[in-house]
Amino acid sequence: MNELSALTSYLSFKLGDETFAANVSKVLNILEMTKITKVPKAPDYMKGVINLRGTVLPLVDTRIKFGLTATEFTANTCILVLDIQIGEDSLQVGGLVDAVQEVLEIEPHQILPAPNIGSKYHSDFICGMYKASEEQFIMILDMDKVFSAEELMTVQETSQAIH
Amino acid sequence: MDQFKQKAIEEAYELIADLEASLLVLEDNSDDKSHISKVFRIMHTLKGNSAMFGFDYIAEYTHHIESIYDLVRNDKLKLNKDIFDLTLNSVDHLNLLLEDVNLEVEANKTRHQAKLSELISFVKKINTLIESGVAFIDLDAGKIPQESVIVPEPEPIPEPIEIVEETKSEPVIEAELPAVEESKVLITTYLVSIVPHKEMLQMGTNPVFLFDDLADLGLIDVYSEIVSDKMSFNELNPTQCYVSWKVILSTSHGEDAIKDVFIFVESDCDLEIKKISDDSIFEKQDALNEIKKIIGFTETKSILDLNYTFEQIAKPVIKEENSKVVASTPKSTADAPIVPVTTVEVKKVEKVATQSTTAKDAAATSIRVPSERLDTLMNLVSELVTTQARLSMYAETSDNTEVSAIAENVQKLTRQLRDIAFNICLVPIQNLLTRFQRLVRDLSAELKKDVELYIEGSETELDKSMIESLSDPIMHILRNSLDHGIEMPEVREKLGKPKKAAIHIRAFYSGANVIIQITDDGAGIDLDKVKNKAISKGLVAPDAILTKKDIIELLFLPGFSTADKITGVSGRGVGMDVVRRKIMDIRGEVDVDTKPGVGTSMTIRLPLTLSIIDGLLVEIDGVSYIIPLSVVDKCYAVEHSRILSSYNNIIVLDGEQIPFYYMREEFNSKTSAPSTEQIIVVRYEEHRIGIVIDTIIGEYQAVLKPLGKMYKKQDMISGASILGDGTIALVLDSNKIIKRFSHQELS
Repeated sequence: MNELSALTSYLSFKLGDETFAANVSKVLNILEMTKITKVPKAPDYMKGVINLRGTVLPLVDTRIKFGLTATEFTANTCILVLDIQIGEDSLQVGGLVDAVQEVLEIEPHQILPAPNIGSKYHSDFICGMYKASEEQFIMILDMDKVFSAEELMTVQETSQAIH
Repeated sequence: MDQFKQKAIEEAYELIADLEASLLVLEDNSDDKSHISKVFRIMHTLKGNSAMFGFDYIAEYTHHIESIYDLVRNDKLKLNKDIFDLTLNSVDHLNLLLEDVNLEVEANKTRHQAKLSELISFVKKINTLIESGVAFIDLDAGKIPQESVIVPEPEPIPEPIEIVEETKSEPVIEAELPAVEESKVLITTYLVSIVPHKEMLQMGTNPVFLFDDLADLGLIDVYSEIVSDKMSFNELNPTQCYVSWKVILSTSHGEDAIKDVFIFVESDCDLEIKKISDDSIFEKQDALNEIKKIIGFTETKSILDLNYTFEQIAKPVIKEENSKVVASTPKSTADAPIVPVTTVEVKKVEKVATQSTTAKDAAATSIRVPSERLDTLMNLVSELVTTQARLSMYAETSDNTEVSAIAENVQKLTRQLRDIAFNICLVPIQNLLTRFQRLVRDLSAELKKDVELYIEGSETELDKSMIESLSDPIMHILRNSLDHGIEMPEVREKLGKPKKAAIHIRAFYSGANVIIQITDDGAGIDLDKVKNKAISKGLVAPDAILTKKDIIELLFLPGFSTADKITGVSGRGVGMDVVRRKIMDIRGEVDVDTKPGVGTSMTIRLPLTLSIIDGLLVEIDGVSYIIPLSVVDKCYAVEHSRILSSYNNIIVLDGEQIPFYYMREEFNSKTSAPSTEQIIVVRYEEHRIGIVIDTIIGEYQAVLKPLGKMYKKQDMISGASILGDGTIALVLDSNKIIKRFSHQELS
């Protein structure tokens, strides 16, 4: 796989009724549901940890993060293993999604700017829209932002909790 | 080559660390000969190594320091503070040089030149004194004494012959006759003259092997010669080579073959190969004698009777009469006596060689291993432990008794392997602590305070990764102590304290922890001042009632400093919070205790190992947790109703009141508790606290994995571990739970 195709390939997935897409360079793996170990006293969106071939992977409930109800596990529920860049560090994190759709080739010119108002989603996370068909838009997500915002919050809370 | 250089640099760092440590010891016992020699020896090794790998700047620099210590060693110079300061400074400079061996950075270059000229001028100063006939220099004495107390008697120059005996360790080889048919092969005789450079031995060259190789070519006869016979015995340096050789070689191979023997030492010696005969000279006793005479060898000077050997060798060939006179013999004007040393058969040399290798094997009690390799080892052991857990689990569920037996064996072996792998990664804390001797010495001088650092328990071992992260925190604590804690000598005298302040560093084991205690006998922390400062900064309310512990806790707030003025040493407020954070990163804790007027004590408590622990596997609300076995005191089964009916979370067990922590409640479990629950009594410092869990599953070797940044806030959980069936168990940090508990009790 060459770099260019990595840049224009997007993996689309469903959260509720909406379809989103993430650049495949960010997705390391797609896992089926596995046993989740809940971490007590963690925030709601931190679903727990899973065993990813011997390493402990934190799992985020993307739906809660996006203001939807908690994920209900179905046969289609998947875990995306994502490589998130936070500043200098890269971090692996699992994201729960309702269903994984397909890999799309989207050229940069096909990406429309994200609407600024009227969206129930935090528009910071969305780096553009892609018109898949007449009635369907796919929101292209900036995965770094989706998860690093989380990270920032946790860090801030930690530092406040010192005393 | 680069990897060798890397090795050399690593080694040099170690040598420098050794040097520094030895210097500090020497400073306290400046008359101790053995320490002087040790310092000298280290410098010498450093110089040799550096020269070998082309670190010329270092070699040059070390050479000058070495020459100072050479004088000290020979009782020509008295060690004083100036010399110590100079050498300790040099140690710092050498560290810099190692970072930039070729002085590519311009600033380093100018600095090096400044340092070097400083050093050279010092050496020159001493040398002029020596040349002016002073036998013993004491720089501390106001004037140079004309006649010293200790006049080292110049050793009488020994007879050269004695030195030859001294260098007898270079056995000369007399080859056995190769079974060659005589006439057919064209034999030529060469005179090979080998004048090694003095440093040849330091490059690891063993001349014996050269002769060995020459002997393989044909018949040889070796004569050794002292290069300089004007030296006194005292001046001889055992690491240098003072011998040169002349070899008569009769061989069927050409001149090139002889050159090939010396291919690796070409640059380390002056080699001359001359053809002296077109025949084997060993066939003609007369000619041989003639040559011996010409190159300076006479029978009378021989130590051993070589004739016998010669005859033996020559006999079989002598039969063939060839009266051709060797006319082309070169004229040699060497005046120095050439003395054959000993004659050893090749076989014997081989024996010596094997002996020396066995000696080497015996000496190799420790080896150097790159730390990455140890990390890999630890990772593999961790994986193995996890895999073993799976095997054990499988063996339990299967009916196959054979598998169970194997699994049990594997478990035993894994445990042993784990313990050994851990041990390998442990390093004595000494390496870390000696560094601080230097810090205290320099800093106390700078602050004009009189402080002595005492180190106890430096043999205590810690995981190497922890040692690395401990350096900064301890350094910080020491700086604080020196700057704020310890009073000026005059003040101390007034207070009736000894003028010389003491800082103690104690390292010791305590259960599954290693404790490092840093205690000073200074002024202690002024708690009121801390409180006032906190109030003025708005960190606490002015009317707040704070316990001693609370006030001490304030010290760990970011940006907190009570120093009235900022000094170069400390007081910038980047302080104790950083110390605590760094220690917490390696799962440790810091505590402070202080008594005004008496001193301050900082206690760093660290876990013994970082990655694998023995744990107790338990279950709470369907989730597995691990409690480190090292803190577990006792387990009790308790009815759920007893827990419900207990007042203020205190339960009586074995006639003792034990406060307990109900994990289900803490974790907001929604399911109903089992009718019988377990209380695990854990110990932390003076506290004993019960942790209530659902069931105990059993003992478990847990490989700790970090939970990652996302779960930083979960301080009750210190990590996770993967169980045999692939699920994850969370590791409870009982210390944190207890701390939290006692905090709740207080508030």
